Amino acid sequence: MIRGISKRIGSIKFSCVSPEEIRKMSATKIITADTYDDEGYPIEMGLMDPHMGVIEPGLRCKTCGCKVDECPGHFGHIDLAMPVIHVGFIKDIKLMLESTCRNCGRIMLTAEQIESRRDDMSEMMDLGGGTIDLKNFSKETAKDASTKGVCPHCGTEQIKIKLDKPTTFREVDDNHKLTPKEVRERLERIPDEDLRTLGMDPATCRPEWMVLTALAVPPVTVRPSITLDSGDRSEDDLTHKLVDVLRINQRLRENRDAGAPQLIVEDLWELLQYHVTTYFDNQTSGIPPARHRSGRPLKTLAQRLKGKEGRFRSNLSGKRVNFSARTVISPDPLLSINEVGVPYIAARELTVPVHVNEHNIEKLKGLVARGPEPSAENGYVPGVNYVIRSDGRRIRVTERNAEEVAENIDIDYTIERQLMDGDVVLFNRQPSLHRMSMMAHRVRMMEGRTFRFNLCVCPPYNADFDGDEMNLHVLQSDEARAEARILMQVQENILSPRYGGPIIGAIHDHITGAYFLTHNNPKFDRFEAMDILSKLKDVEIPKPMIGDGGKEYWTGKQLFSTVLPDDFRTTFKANICQNCDHCKREGCEYDAYVKIRGGQLISGTIDVKGIGNSKGKILDRIARDYGADRAARFINEVTRLALGALMNHGFSTGIGDEDIPEEAALQIANYNQECINEVSELVESYQNGTLDQMPGRSLRETLEVRVMKVLGQARDEAGRVAGKHLGLSNPAVVMAKAGARGSMLNLSQMAGCVGQQAVRGERLSRGYWNRTLPHFHKGDLGAHARGFCSNSYKSGLSPTEFFFHAMGGREGLVDTAVRTSRSGYMQRRLVSALEDLKLTSDGTVRNTVGTVIQFKYGEDGVDPSRTVRGKAIDLDDLFAEVLGDDADRLLRVDNLDVGEDYGSREKDEMEYTEEEDGEEYDDLDTDFEGGSE
Amino acid sequence: MAKKDTLKALVSRNISEEVAELLLTKYNTLSSISAAGIEELVEMGLSEEVAEATLAKIGKRTVRAAAPAVKTKKAAQEPKAEPMEEVFRERVFTQSEIRLKKIADRIGSTMPMKIITDIANVIEKADLSDELCDKLIGTANRMYTSHLMDKNESTGVMAAHSLGEPGTQMNMRTFHYAGVANINVTQGLPRLIEIVDARRVPSTPSMVIPLTGIAAEDESVARHVASEIEVTSLLDIASVETDITNMRLVITPNARKMALRGLETDDILEKLNKVKAVRGLVKLSGYQIVITSDEPSYKKLQSMYDSVKGAKIKGIEGISRAVLSKVAGSWKIVTEGSNLKEVLKIEGVNANKVMTNSILEVADVLGIEAARNSIIHEAMGTLGEAGLDVDIRHIMLVADLMTNDGQVKAIGRHGVSGKKSSVLARAAFEITAAHLLHAAMVGEVDSLEGVTENIIVGQPVTLGTGAVNLIYTPKKGEIE
Repeated sequence: MIRGISKRIGSIKFSCVSPEEIRKMSATKIITADTYDDEGYPIEMGLMDPHMGVIEPGLRCKTCGCKVDECPGHFGHIDLAMPVIHVGFIKDIKLMLESTCRNCGRIMLTAEQIESRRDDMSEMMDLGGGTIDLKNFSKETAKDASTKGVCPHCGTEQIKIKLDKPTTFREVDDNHKLTPKEVRERLERIPDEDLRTLGMDPATCRPEWMVLTALAVPPVTVRPSITLDSGDRSEDDLTHKLVDVLRINQRLRENRDAGAPQLIVEDLWELLQYHVTTYFDNQTSGIPPARHRSGRPLKTLAQRLKGKEGRFRSNLSGKRVNFSARTVISPDPLLSINEVGVPYIAARELTVPVHVNEHNIEKLKGLVARGPEPSAENGYVPGVNYVIRSDGRRIRVTERNAEEVAENIDIDYTIERQLMDGDVVLFNRQPSLHRMSMMAHRVRMMEGRTFRFNLCVCPPYNADFDGDEMNLHVLQSDEARAEARILMQVQENILSPRYGGPIIGAIHDHITGAYFLTHNNPKFDRFEAMDILSKLKDVEIPKPMIGDGGKEYWTGKQLFSTVLPDDFRTTFKANICQNCDHCKREGCEYDAYVKIRGGQLISGTIDVKGIGNSKGKILDRIARDYGADRAARFINEVTRLALGALMNHGFSTGIGDEDIPEEAALQIANYNQECINEVSELVESYQNGTLDQMPGRSLRETLEVRVMKVLGQARDEAGRVAGKHLGLSNPAVVMAKAGARGSMLNLSQMAGCVGQQAVRGERLSRGYWNRTLPHFHKGDLGAHARGFCSNSYKSGLSPTEFFFHAMGGREGLVDTAVRTSRSGYMQRRLVSALEDLKLTSDGTVRNTVGTVIQFKYGEDGVDPSRTVRGKAIDLDDLFAEVLGDDADRLLRVDNLDVGEDYGSREKDEMEYTEEEDGEEYDDLDTDFEGGSE
Repeated sequence: MAKKDTLKALVSRNISEEVAELLLTKYNTLSSISAAGIEELVEMGLSEEVAEATLAKIGKRTVRAAAPAVKTKKAAQEPKAEPMEEVFRERVFTQSEIRLKKIADRIGSTMPMKIITDIANVIEKADLSDELCDKLIGTANRMYTSHLMDKNESTGVMAAHSLGEPGTQMNMRTFHYAGVANINVTQGLPRLIEIVDARRVPSTPSMVIPLTGIAAEDESVARHVASEIEVTSLLDIASVETDITNMRLVITPNARKMALRGLETDDILEKLNKVKAVRGLVKLSGYQIVITSDEPSYKKLQSMYDSVKGAKIKGIEGISRAVLSKVAGSWKIVTEGSNLKEVLKIEGVNANKVMTNSILEVADVLGIEAARNSIIHEAMGTLGEAGLDVDIRHIMLVADLMTNDGQVKAIGRHGVSGKKSSVLARAAFEITAAHLLHAAMVGEVDSLEGVTENIIVGQPVTLGTGAVNLIYTPKKGEIE
């Protein structure tokens, strides 16, 4: 293992290889198209010549004498009987032929023009022009030169050149075909100096090298053949293509030497050109791709590099790694947020290298002596899989040799210890859309076969447990572990850099639990209080209150306060806030005004706005003011406490929760009927032309807008009635109001009325001729005929409604499918464009070239994840710190520390759906998304 | 135009041959006649009435006095092309701002003025001691400094993630009605992609045009301004019939519709005369306008019909609809279609506050800094509409990168990514083979400074912890 400072590659230069170089670097010349002889040995000077490297174990490379995996392989070469053009350079060749004289080879610009172009070029480069600028500039130079009809140097008249795709040049006047040989001769004539004017460097690439006279043959290691089970050999696509090249090359040479008719030679020459072309790129437009015997197009050089599955994106930008594991995930609310439960079986395979030194040698000897699978009475004890000696030899530790290997351990050995509790590992779920998709956790060994983690960490990974799998990577160096611990641990990522608020926090039942614990301050007797508090590890039991008859009790707010930092203070409005015109503050009848002073919850209910992920203000403040570790502790404790409270209270919801009294159902039905009648009236007035047209809309559009509005009202009214009858103690309503899960809209659809179904934001209209379903009259524009569902999910949809609902639901699914790919590509482009930007130490943001993108990052240099919802500093914090409780009095600012409601951006869903009908399928979406993985 | 043609043209305008010949002794073309004033014509021996009538027939509009419509008033005070006055709006700092700023300067704080202003706004009315102010600024400075971004942070990747990740949560639903006006605007992910792509024309160009002066208050004036902006084509205000027997087009203006748009038959006449295909053939006949074909060809008639019916009579090119809406007590126009340059010239428009969602247009008309702000505004708006919270700093970075070299560049192969300095990075993004081949041809050198290149060759990237190259060489004797 390399330790300390390793060498860095400074730069990589690209260049073309000249034919001489190809021959010089070639290990062997290839002349025969055959690969193996009858005994199965590679034929000398064939495509599998052992001079080009070895692919079979046991054999040695004839060039370097190394075995498989040691020998990198060596190039061979084919001498082409006649030159052929390299397709990749065809456009450049054309430009060069056009811009230089057909006779003298000079660039067709006058001396002054050359001079000025060269000056401009060097000026551009001095001003920081990149290679792309140079490319465009040179192209322009060439275009300029190619417009000349007569060479300014020798006076030869020029003939226009036409390119017959893909590789044939013709002179326009007599349609005379320029053979590659002629092309090469012309290119040879271009003097070095003129090449520089054209932006080329004659030292790295002479244009005539683009017309090939020798073809480099890649080493066999690049194109290994595979032996099938049947014993047959199957050659690589490149080998197949090279065989074609060799065959035609051979025939061409024979025919030419035998003095065959020009026509035959030319045909063969063209065939050779075809094979060489497809050898480079089998997707060249204008020619049929070369195919395998089975009809599959061959994957030749360009195809190997290109695209998502190509070398660049799948092997160079992304690499496969060892020391990783993948399995299904499942939840464990009792783990800390920065832990991950790892199954024993996985841990036995995952190892951490430990360097042996004089301080740990005795301990490690003991560890090794246990062998690879030490048994323990309770649970798991790490063993050792490998010992690496100081000379680099690996010794596999087995049950049998464990003792012996342990004896021989010396300083400077490295042992590969199995994973154990407390190790730092990286945990990741695809798609890795942001940096929180890969965080460092501490290992916790566990029974079972799944990875487990705390539910609060679901949002950053966007994980659920319907079969999701996740990956785990074990860090292999001290530097990596240190970085992971400081930068990547879960608690370091509580605050999202996207919006400067917490992304990790209480979810779902945690919130319901906290709601029950604090809403209207319930009383708990000793038994209950201790039951709830017992979920915490070490806790100072608050002083009990004394109630009627001297019975001691604890209030919910008291219990909640046990997990708050001692000097914590904040004020905000909870999610259940009704947004009254006049806020009664502490006297709020809904108990929505949250006030915390000195670490005690004085008033208010704790719900999403308090501890929820992304909205939780308490969380936000603790993470910011008390540090990551305190925040992690708070999340751990508050969720445990909330779950304790929830279990104490008991919580369940079912279809019965959507029951509404008969009169309410009647009321809804009546209102629905009213609206439906109203729609009928609208349709009637539309049909007899009395409908008032809205400005800028057609009559039909006017009708649709009006109808949608009426039916929207119907749904809202149904929701309102249903909501009224469900009452605040209804579990489903509690969840919606506290922000744990679901919305009032979901509820009103379940209990009241599903409402209008829409596709592309319009009422349903397609299906049959002039009607949606054969159940309706042709041309029926009424509510039911166009997808209005007056039933609720509870009461059950009618067959037509069900069908319409499926139509609307399908749109949601299509939407999700399209969205993922589109946004994925957008993100790839964004990352590719922005990845190189960094904040330099002078405070500017620069790219790799050193161009300043921003003089001060974000105009104030502030890290978004440290901001308070985008604000550089939190004024409330500032005044609270400097002025203390006097802040309110001194400043007489009424609303000073009722923090601005930053959740307000997320519109109230009820409002939202007035215009956005698609929303109602959101839950459906996520379920399907998960299921399709 | 030869004199003969001019004569014909004059006669066709109901000018007596006598007068016409007299005029032609001095002038050659219609325009030169109309360029001359009444006085000149009188000098030539025409009576004042005849001179005036002649000019009117030729098409020069004398200033009509006492015209009732607002429109003519406007026309009379036609805006002259005066050089734009440079506006400096110096911010006047409040007492408390100055007081706090002084403290900040004294302690050498680099806090942006915004923070100081925010604090000043809060303490404005409170009478705070110097000591407390000192403490405030000191604490604020400490907070600010501790919130600064770490050096070597990969701000770009952070921005890309922050913008890309919410994309998966956005709606694909393209259309959304912007505010009160019934105008469709692309929203959600498609719009975000459009912004990042720096499309020349957005899929639903739209403008928001706040009005100023009386136009902001009075609906009828506002309506008039809107009619100046919205394109009115002939078919919007008149019906066009093809009279095959007489080889002519008969245009019947709709008085009600014309009044609504503040148009008169003369305006139509004038505009139609400018349409190439029918120039010089348009005549008024009663309340109708008649265009008689000058050659007996149905084909010609058809082509005349086609060019006439789409003729723009009034309004600004590209703006197909302008809808009025009242926001916070003043009138605004929301349009479908965008043409910033022309809209800015319209009187009654609050040129300082006009918005368009066409970023490239902003760049063309107002310059690159405006385009940068436009990108930020549009992206923030799109994300906000979807209920997603993304820090403005991320969007600023994207906008700054897109507008870095003075032109709006797209994020992607044709823009920023395609111009990267590293061959390997470009090859790894898109069009792999072409980049590699070109690099070989010109002998490019990849200096391995970026992220992708270093990942490709397998060494630490130069961002974050990888950017630090601290090597400590112990002096001799320092190691035991």
